[in-house]
Amino acid sequence: MNKIIFLGCLSSTKYKDTCENAIKVIKFLDNEYQELENPPCCGALAHQIAPIEEIRDHIKLVNNWFKDNDVKKLITICAGCYNYLTRYYPKHLGTDFNIKVMHLLQFINRPENLKKLNLKYPGKKLKIYYHDACHLRNAEIPIIDEPRNIINSIEGNIVLGEMENNSLNSLCCGAGGGVYSIFRESSDFSSKLIFDQMRMPKALLTACPFCYTSLIRIREENNIKTPVIKFEDFILNIMEGVDPISV
Amino acid sequence: MSEKGEELYNKIKDKLVELQSENSAYAQFNEIWKMACAIKYKSYDLRYLYEDTSREFVDEYREHLIKMKKDFVENIDEYVDKCIKRMESTNHFRVYLAKTNQEAQRIFMEELGDNKVIYKSKSLEAKDAGIMDTLKKNNITIKETDLGDVFCQLLEYDYPSFTLGPGIQFTPEEIVAKIKEKYGVEVEPEAEAIVNYFRNTYRKELLKDVKVSLTSANAISAQDGSIVLVENEGNISIITRATEKHIVVAGIQRIVPSVFDALLCAKIQERIINVDGAYISFISSPSNTSDVQGHRVFGMYGAKEVVIILVDDWRMKAVKENLFYKDMLKCIGCKSCDLVCTASRAFGNIYASKYGIGAINIVRDYIHNGIEAAVADGLFLCTGCENCTNWCPTGVDLAEMIRELKRIAVDKDLCPPPLKEYKEKILKDKNPFK
Repeated sequence: MNKIIFLGCLSSTKYKDTCENAIKVIKFLDNEYQELENPPCCGALAHQIAPIEEIRDHIKLVNNWFKDNDVKKLITICAGCYNYLTRYYPKHLGTDFNIKVMHLLQFINRPENLKKLNLKYPGKKLKIYYHDACHLRNAEIPIIDEPRNIINSIEGNIVLGEMENNSLNSLCCGAGGGVYSIFRESSDFSSKLIFDQMRMPKALLTACPFCYTSLIRIREENNIKTPVIKFEDFILNIMEGVDPISV
Repeated sequence: MSEKGEELYNKIKDKLVELQSENSAYAQFNEIWKMACAIKYKSYDLRYLYEDTSREFVDEYREHLIKMKKDFVENIDEYVDKCIKRMESTNHFRVYLAKTNQEAQRIFMEELGDNKVIYKSKSLEAKDAGIMDTLKKNNITIKETDLGDVFCQLLEYDYPSFTLGPGIQFTPEEIVAKIKEKYGVEVEPEAEAIVNYFRNTYRKELLKDVKVSLTSANAISAQDGSIVLVENEGNISIITRATEKHIVVAGIQRIVPSVFDALLCAKIQERIINVDGAYISFISSPSNTSDVQGHRVFGMYGAKEVVIILVDDWRMKAVKENLFYKDMLKCIGCKSCDLVCTASRAFGNIYASKYGIGAINIVRDYIHNGIEAAVADGLFLCTGCENCTNWCPTGVDLAEMIRELKRIAVDKDLCPPPLKEYKEKILKDKNPFK
């Protein structure tokens, strides 16, 4: 049985450190998971605009890549990959798609993994917020409680704040669907709104590389102090006893 | 990208620049709209009004609604037939089934006869069928009765607006200035004073002068042919009663199998848009009495005639040919999709068509006016967040319809180049970011 780590094209191209951190966390929990070379893009972005026949062909190609590598289980750190692989792959491939897909948050949240991680934060009070990415909360199997449960499992003085719009009502960052490449005004408005909804935050966590891209741009352009931290970076820092919100 | 595509893309870009300028119509609308939908979105928790949230209320009936709408679409012929039979035989309505919008327009003009004035509620279905344009062409005076629409008419506002609160963008000062200019009356720039002004003047006119009135229908029960109408102002109650002829224009998708389903659609709409204290009317016959020795006479205090124009146009075809927009037939017009839409919140009446704001009206524009119209409506502002599909109480996959429109636009070379580049990189290089 082949267990793979599917990092997603945005993370593996632009956020290499995060990928390494995610791999460390996953391998610590289950050493059988491995990263394969040259994984293809899942196609989520093309799904917005490509003709159905081309999408199907691409999905088949990716599925054949999975089959060639005998993939049975997959963990992704990308919200887009998670939504796309769990909703649209079974829709287009039916029973020909036989892979158990998990997002990193679901994997970490397993009771045995939380126990093994035994996360402890010895520092002073830390108020953090978690932003629910659309592709996680609107997915076929929504991921909403998992990140909250993981944060609450950390021993120490970490307080999880909630924005007015959270969980199912969360705000989209405004960068999805390729809009980021054509109308940045969308994330100018929506990502800023996310920052505006936090009260005295020390950090904003996200588990989506697309949201991350948009949120860090808005943070920089608006001189916002609150750092934006990717969930896997946060977890690894806690594991290694490093300041979890250092960027 | 084609020349046309570039032109449409630049038009949207120009509108986004206008949005940044405080006094533009887009900025004015957006200022209030983004606040309204952010508040609405987070406050689907309306526990201060009810025992449950709107989301919980919808969830309780969602399975039933989805099943009911699916059944309707699958058996559309049967339900339309049954509904028309009930309306004619039991309810004494005069019923037309217009195969096309043009036919609906012709029937409407015939029913209007020599009348040169029409009083109407929102009647979005009439707009959809092109009847409003026909009335304008024929110099018929259209009198809006929903206060928001009255404001739009008064201030000659022709930008897309939120259909359920079409006047929310106007300040009290703007409204009273226009009242002064047009009627020479001084009114305090306050909500109560403005409402009182219209209550004291326009209400009297409505109770006295209406000969022909036009409404849509929030739902129509095939079981008994009842027309269901939801309102909060009382304008629909007045113009459907204090009139000689009440004309209902509705797409056949407004038909639902049972009286219970019709009431449920009304209640869901009422809860989602938070029209507390609303009136719900069930109209099952023209006004009548049998008090003179059991002899039934129509036209007692209410409407003497009720005319129903059911419009097919694209609807049956969408079912029979399994067109991608056939999910539009499941829409009950509750506006959930607008209130939770990322693009709508950010761009207000830029992400909109002439039929109203939001994605559902962009699909509508495509159906009537083609893909270029949809692109001009800001189709590519959609972030694909799928909130619309996720929140829809009746299972309309609006996100997929919008994606399909984007695919059609790509096929017609109307897609902005960076997006097309992503697509080609994914499909050829297997990584769009390298």
